Amino acid sequence: MEDAPLLTLRSVSKHFGGVQALVDVDLEVRAGEVVALVGDNAAGKSTVARMISGIYQPDGGQIYLDGRAVTIASAQAAFAMGIAAVFQEFALAENLDVTSNIFLGRELSSSGLLDVDRMDDLARSYLAQLNARIPDLRTPLVQLSAGQRQCVAIARTLVSRPRLVVLDEPTASLSVGQTAEVLSYVESLRDMGLGVILISHNLNDVRAVADRIEVLRHGRNNGSFDTATASYEEVLSAITGATRLRSHR
Amino acid sequence: MNRVVGAPGSQPSLREANSSRIIEAVKAYGRITQVELASVTGLSPATVSNIVRQLLDQDVVETTATTRSGRRAQLVALKTSSALAVGMHIGRRSLELVIADASLDVRTVKRLPLPPDHRSDTTLDRAALLISDMADDVGASMDQIGGVGLALPSSVGREGRGAAFQLPGWEELDVDQLLSARIQRPVLVVKEADAGALAESRLGSLRGASSALYVYASHTTDSSYLVSGTPLAGFRGAAGALGHVRVASAGQICRCGARGCLNTVVAGEALAELVRLSHGPMDLRGIVKAAADGDPGCRQVVADAGSAIGAAVADLATVVAPERITWGGELAAVGEPFVAALRESVRARPLLPSPDELLVDPAFPTEGCSRGALVAIHDAINAGVGVTVEG
Repeated sequence: MEDAPLLTLRSVSKHFGGVQALVDVDLEVRAGEVVALVGDNAAGKSTVARMISGIYQPDGGQIYLDGRAVTIASAQAAFAMGIAAVFQEFALAENLDVTSNIFLGRELSSSGLLDVDRMDDLARSYLAQLNARIPDLRTPLVQLSAGQRQCVAIARTLVSRPRLVVLDEPTASLSVGQTAEVLSYVESLRDMGLGVILISHNLNDVRAVADRIEVLRHGRNNGSFDTATASYEEVLSAITGATRLRSHR
Repeated sequence: MNRVVGAPGSQPSLREANSSRIIEAVKAYGRITQVELASVTGLSPATVSNIVRQLLDQDVVETTATTRSGRRAQLVALKTSSALAVGMHIGRRSLELVIADASLDVRTVKRLPLPPDHRSDTTLDRAALLISDMADDVGASMDQIGGVGLALPSSVGREGRGAAFQLPGWEELDVDQLLSARIQRPVLVVKEADAGALAESRLGSLRGASSALYVYASHTTDSSYLVSGTPLAGFRGAAGALGHVRVASAGQICRCGARGCLNTVVAGEALAELVRLSHGPMDLRGIVKAAADGDPGCRQVVADAGSAIGAAVADLATVVAPERITWGGELAAVGEPFVAALRESVRARPLLPSPDELLVDPAFPTEGCSRGALVAIHDAINAGVGVTVEG
């Protein structure tokens, strides 16, 4: 229990012009822990996700990995550090097939040629872990359902053998059946000992799989809840601002 | 499924093997085009086409015309000869659903994690959506579903009302009516432990036992006593409440109002409380996972829970003398530390048969309840009694 957390954010701030997106935000994620980040629209959830995955740089504060201060300079840097992210508008190529999408930008090759067979095998194994029902790896993405695309997007993260996975609204626009699959997948990520940051509007989904719920409100921390003991109402009132963690500065 | 006729490598045996591969694939995907079948099974399109034609003749599958990428294609699905049945288990932290045909051949399984103290309206709405979603997956319409068996922690509903302390907020509900109003199909509610026992007795390790005891150890503990394959219901269906036998006369007050019930010692919350200081907040799933991974503290907690449950089971077994005992549920599914403690408790009673004779490993350590609910509704559909659409 005394080991340093996998990821720590200390007093992280971010401005976009005159807009304060994040003000002194703290966050901690341990290995084998699912931390949910919840909040209203524009609470800063996605900004945190983008900062962790190297897309934005913090204006103030510090990010620590395994207790060591780090600068996550770019998405490639985050990738090298074992951080994988799936965003709301996932970066998938509609015209390419499933395997190509999973390995997009990190294609495997053998003696200078694409190793299609090995990529197919790996892609199948990732999808099998996900319980995905995509029969043909040659199907272009444009023909898949929203849920199947989400599965491809999440399968993509497994390629880098990540230690921390950031999922931004993974269950938005999914059917209940597909939501069930994605939530089970989040549980298996935890069982694999990875840290998971789960961003979602849906408190029901969040409370189903998260160990801890961190509430953001107007770019500030507004409460941290242990899922097992926190009631739906407590979390909701922190989101809406009915309860305040500290006064606004 | 892997039965093969003819000499190995001969033409007929090859064809048989290929056709069982195709059936497996159709089962796995519900509805699938012939082109996709070729891709999944690795067989040539011509072979797939031949085998599908054969299976059509044998009435195993049915095909419908569709289009894929602007081309005409044949969609292949298993023929639904008779009504499908749905088995569902709503527990403390998850919902599990299986769909099967009349032969109890499970077509598809799905699990949805649920939040702690989930609300009945949200959960039942999601359950209804999930049923129609999954029916669609196996290529069936809602009309083809003969009914839904629903396993719940202790009995909730008209018969056993007042005994349901395990799902907070669900105590006063007629869950069968609420769900059947949503899906317009008959719903039959069974107790979790009875469902698990039914699954083992019909499909698993209690088959053929004249009397048997099934112990359900999960977020709470319960049991079911089977006589000739039928769970003993008792007055108002309240039999089997193993979690409410007294084990600590100076213990904590149980949800039921009595003092020192087994559940106050071995329920998920009680175990979480034991590791809170050393491990921080953990849920039952986390404790079980850590115990399985060899964490000494969590192994100890699980083993102690096993001893407490084992002592109660040994008491009960001494009274009713079952032929076999098996178990299920998230806590029991951890295996060794739990089962070893159970074994020890049985060994300590000279009147009982040896643990090797009495204790049998379950066939469904985790998915028993949904399968048992399936068995229950399947029987009710076949008997044509007690199942009606209400609301």
